[in-house]
Amino acid sequence: MTAALAPSPAADGAVAPVLRAERLCKEFGGVTVLSDASLDIRPGEIHAVIGENGAGKSTLMRLLSGYLRPSAGELRMDSAPIAFHAPSDAQAAGIALVHQEILLAEALTVTENIFIGREITRFGGLDERAMREAAAAQLAEIGCKVSPRALVRDLSLANRQLVQIAKALLGTHRVVIFDEPTAVLTHDEVDPLLDIIVELKQRGVAILYISHRLDEVERLADRVTVLRDGRMVGTYDAEGLTPQRMASLMVGREFASLYPPRLERELGEPALEIEHADVPGFVREVSFTLRKGEILGLAGMIGAGRTELFEGLLGLRPASFGAVRLHGRPVHFASPAQAAAAGFGYLTEDRKGKGLLLGERLAPNLTLAALDRVHPLAGLDLAGEARLLDTAVRGYDIRLRSRDARAGQLSGGNQQKLLLAKVMLNDPTVIVIDEPTRGIDIANKSQIYAFIQSLVREGRSCIVISSEMQELIGLCDRILVMRSGRINGELTGDAMSESNVALHATSSVASETTSEGNAHG
Amino acid sequence: MADVAAAPPRAQHNWSIGWGDAGPFLALAALVAIGFLINPDFLSANNIANVVTRSAFIAIIAIGATFVISSGGLDLSVGSMAAFITGVMILFMNWVAPSVGTAAIPLGMAVALVTGIACGLLNGTIVTVGRIEPFIATLGTMGIFRALITYMTDGGTVAIDRSLRDAYRPVYFGDVLGVPIPILVSLAVALVAAYVLYRTRYGRRCVAVGANEDVARYSGISVTRVRTLAYVIQGTCVAIAAICYVPRLGAATPTTGLLWELQVITAVVIGGTALRGGRGRVWGTVAGAVILEFIANLMVLSDFVSEYLVAAVQGVIIIIAMLIQRMSKR
Amino acid sequence: MLRNILLATGITTALLAAGPASAAEKKTIAVSIPAADHGWTAGVVYHANAAAKEINKAFPDIEVIVKTSPSASAQVSAIEDLSATRKLDALVILPHSSEELTTPVKAIKDKGSFITVVDRGLNDPKIQDLYVAGDNIAVGFNTAKFLVEKMSGKGNVVVLRGIPTVIDDERIKGFQDGIKGSDLKILDIQYANWNSDQAFKLMQDYLAKYPQIDAVWANDDDMLLGVLEAIKQSGRKEIKFALGGNGMKEIIAKVMAGDAVTPVETPYPPSMIKTAIYLTAAHFAGHAPVRGSLKLDAPLITKANAAEYHFPDSPF
Repeated sequence: MTAALAPSPAADGAVAPVLRAERLCKEFGGVTVLSDASLDIRPGEIHAVIGENGAGKSTLMRLLSGYLRPSAGELRMDSAPIAFHAPSDAQAAGIALVHQEILLAEALTVTENIFIGREITRFGGLDERAMREAAAAQLAEIGCKVSPRALVRDLSLANRQLVQIAKALLGTHRVVIFDEPTAVLTHDEVDPLLDIIVELKQRGVAILYISHRLDEVERLADRVTVLRDGRMVGTYDAEGLTPQRMASLMVGREFASLYPPRLERELGEPALEIEHADVPGFVREVSFTLRKGEILGLAGMIGAGRTELFEGLLGLRPASFGAVRLHGRPVHFASPAQAAAAGFGYLTEDRKGKGLLLGERLAPNLTLAALDRVHPLAGLDLAGEARLLDTAVRGYDIRLRSRDARAGQLSGGNQQKLLLAKVMLNDPTVIVIDEPTRGIDIANKSQIYAFIQSLVREGRSCIVISSEMQELIGLCDRILVMRSGRINGELTGDAMSESNVALHATSSVASETTSEGNAHG
Repeated sequence: MADVAAAPPRAQHNWSIGWGDAGPFLALAALVAIGFLINPDFLSANNIANVVTRSAFIAIIAIGATFVISSGGLDLSVGSMAAFITGVMILFMNWVAPSVGTAAIPLGMAVALVTGIACGLLNGTIVTVGRIEPFIATLGTMGIFRALITYMTDGGTVAIDRSLRDAYRPVYFGDVLGVPIPILVSLAVALVAAYVLYRTRYGRRCVAVGANEDVARYSGISVTRVRTLAYVIQGTCVAIAAICYVPRLGAATPTTGLLWELQVITAVVIGGTALRGGRGRVWGTVAGAVILEFIANLMVLSDFVSEYLVAAVQGVIIIIAMLIQRMSKR
Repeated sequence: MLRNILLATGITTALLAAGPASAAEKKTIAVSIPAADHGWTAGVVYHANAAAKEINKAFPDIEVIVKTSPSASAQVSAIEDLSATRKLDALVILPHSSEELTTPVKAIKDKGSFITVVDRGLNDPKIQDLYVAGDNIAVGFNTAKFLVEKMSGKGNVVVLRGIPTVIDDERIKGFQDGIKGSDLKILDIQYANWNSDQAFKLMQDYLAKYPQIDAVWANDDDMLLGVLEAIKQSGRKEIKFALGGNGMKEIIAKVMAGDAVTPVETPYPPSMIKTAIYLTAAHFAGHAPVRGSLKLDAPLITKANAAEYHFPDSPF
């Protein structure tokens, strides 16, 4: 065990590395974001890079793929020094990068996307056929069954990710860098992707794999490099490296558990009662009750209607409700503003598209949903707002390089904390948090879970919508599983298991309450 | 790990943001320096006063456009609207002048403001409630306002009543302590606008709607109300510009305000407001309007541009001004 | 008695016969002109409508129809529609542009219509039966001659020109020819697009640039209005003359009142459309030969003859 965890020698003589980074440093305007990073990638291995947000993972990745140039240190390819002036240089050298975000033109076809910027021409015109055939071959190679003629707009997220991979793999590729490829995928979509990565490895491709999901890293990686605060912690053989241990290395201290210990308590009166909710096209006949102090999980596949249910409740899409009662009083929300005023808060799953103004500073983002509350007078109370931001930064442990940073410059976890702080400014008594930890690293996750628990400890009530079954099981008092717009099962106590959730999410089992020991408290 | 945020380094961002906002003013300063080198008369008090006064209409309208554009809209109708308001105002003043004398002028101003607000409300409602692309909606009202002024003037000129002419003249030609009144008016409008945009809840909401409609909606902001109000502000600004414009030539014609919309949009963009919304710069807009007028002035004062090439040189200078702005953002 | 009866019957028969016959012979004159989008075209529309009303009243056998069009292509459509729905005995046209209208007008000519072209000539002069135009060169030339004479052949002049078109070029050329041989010096010529706002700004700039300006010529009266306002604001007294052109009623009024700075005016009167319509009507009603070209002179309008050119009800 101890031997396995010691940094492995740079080259154990097995195979010569394809790409080697030696003492890479990068600074921006005097701030060092990465120093002394050395690692090598060998053919036929998966080398994982893990670290918290801000640890320098993406800087390292961008140095290796030519998006950035190092301030010091050098890159060697087949032991000869090499310098990339642009991403195209790295591409030419056989280094392919699969971006975390899906960067495809939605209005174009799969083929057009794959060949964008490097179209095959024939007699001066586009050779559509050659491109289509090449695209089909590339897609087949990674086991993607999408038609090369399909429009990207019509594809699922998982298939878009595959198209993006096909695009990266076009041409020679000796090194493929995956930047959190599963971040945007749901549980079921992950497995096929991981299979593709393993297959690439078996073909002798050197793979650098960056991920937050430590269970994936455990499954895939041959070696693991850990970064912390812009420095190398070390490179380890994956053999015997548990997720627990990885997390400890990442945060620099022993890591007990991701989830806070369960609270032993009596639940109170109904806080939110929804009867006969109907959101045309998404939700049919949904009724449930959230009790005061409860954390209620809402599980289900993408498209099960979970998000749409609450968008309907907020008046953001057409919906009808038999009855909605907040703390026993009937309510009807025509807009998010009315909901906020009544003490109902909703945290969107799409923090970049619907949650935060990425180009705006932090303070205006923080107070945007509570302008009347924060600034009761005609003019803005900028000093008060700055104090609120200070409070939020401390209270939610938001880490930023500068007080003048834009929201878009924060890491995903810190954006999520800012969004939490924003919704909490309206002091809601019932909070719906949609995908609280999507694309967020482990330390931030743990903080957010602790925070959610502190909400209910204060007497608030919480609904957590999540596609990560683990987190619902670890966090919630009760889980409702939705399928095709209906509630297809209610799980409590020991019945809250991954297999049970998956079963109710995917098949129309009898929708009776599955609870053991009737653990409502 | 909870104490990491204690001392955030902040130097680099402050620096870059500061220069980015200074772009239009740098361009203006460069233009003034070049102007002085070309012809020292350029900096004479008289010339500067004339040119800045002339830029007042575009500046005032462009300040309104800063709201519309930063809220994610566009208003092509401002030039026609200015002509229309001018026409309504003159006809109204001429109508009441025989009975109320020079009191017709303040009454006319009130009518202009009401007309401007109504025009803005019309544009805003078509865009928000009617859900029509701002480009198309205001292209439509642009034609409507232009046709109305042509109809009101029979295609010719409506001139202000002689009895009002001299009483109203100082609003354009007069000054307070040597500063021409239109300059004071545009400064006042800019001050109020800067306060509204930067220091009120409405300004926050306006920019938020322009930056990301969804975020604004999820944050409980009424996108319809915010956008409509931006058009009303635009209409009010056009009315204020019309009030300053009428005494200059004392007439409205079908060519009044022709192509002002393009100058207005150019001034706004030179000033650093993002054309796609989400970022408004009131003082930059004012600088942009002055830059445009300075360029035209410089073309006349310099001797080495053929009259046939003036428009081309103006185009080149505008592009260079934008480049200076862009580079200062780096 | 019998004779009387016969006579009466004869008259009645004649009247009955003449009734439908005269209706069939009623002549249609179509007038196609640009829509009123600035002062001068507004004058054209005013005078065309006035002529139509007067002729329709005076000659029951002649019907004048006036159509305005906002653009050259709209004008092509308009005359095509007119000729498709009825027989046009005559077409009086002030073309938006020579190039685009030549072929469509030729098509109407080929159907046997009498063609009167006003102001802007068509590319093929053979199409027209009658051509009525003002003299743009004379507008510039006569103004120049006046200045040379009044300023004893020397002094500094600034010029404001309109929109780059043939009309503008001819006026400027006439002016330059007119000052040839004198010591009158043109300090500057710039475009102000026949727009009073732009003329105001341009004149302000001229005043800032040149310390001594003896005379200003704006080749159109809309621009002259802006020029006068700028001079008034500057308080400069050395400018002896500020002249325009076209015959706008406000400027004619100044001439009538004996204004010192604007004592004369050169006409390029929009009423030429009226001249053309009347001459065309004469072709049918008066049985008078009118084929040919009529170039309206651009004589100096002075206090003495200004009333002849003053149309207080016209928008221009």
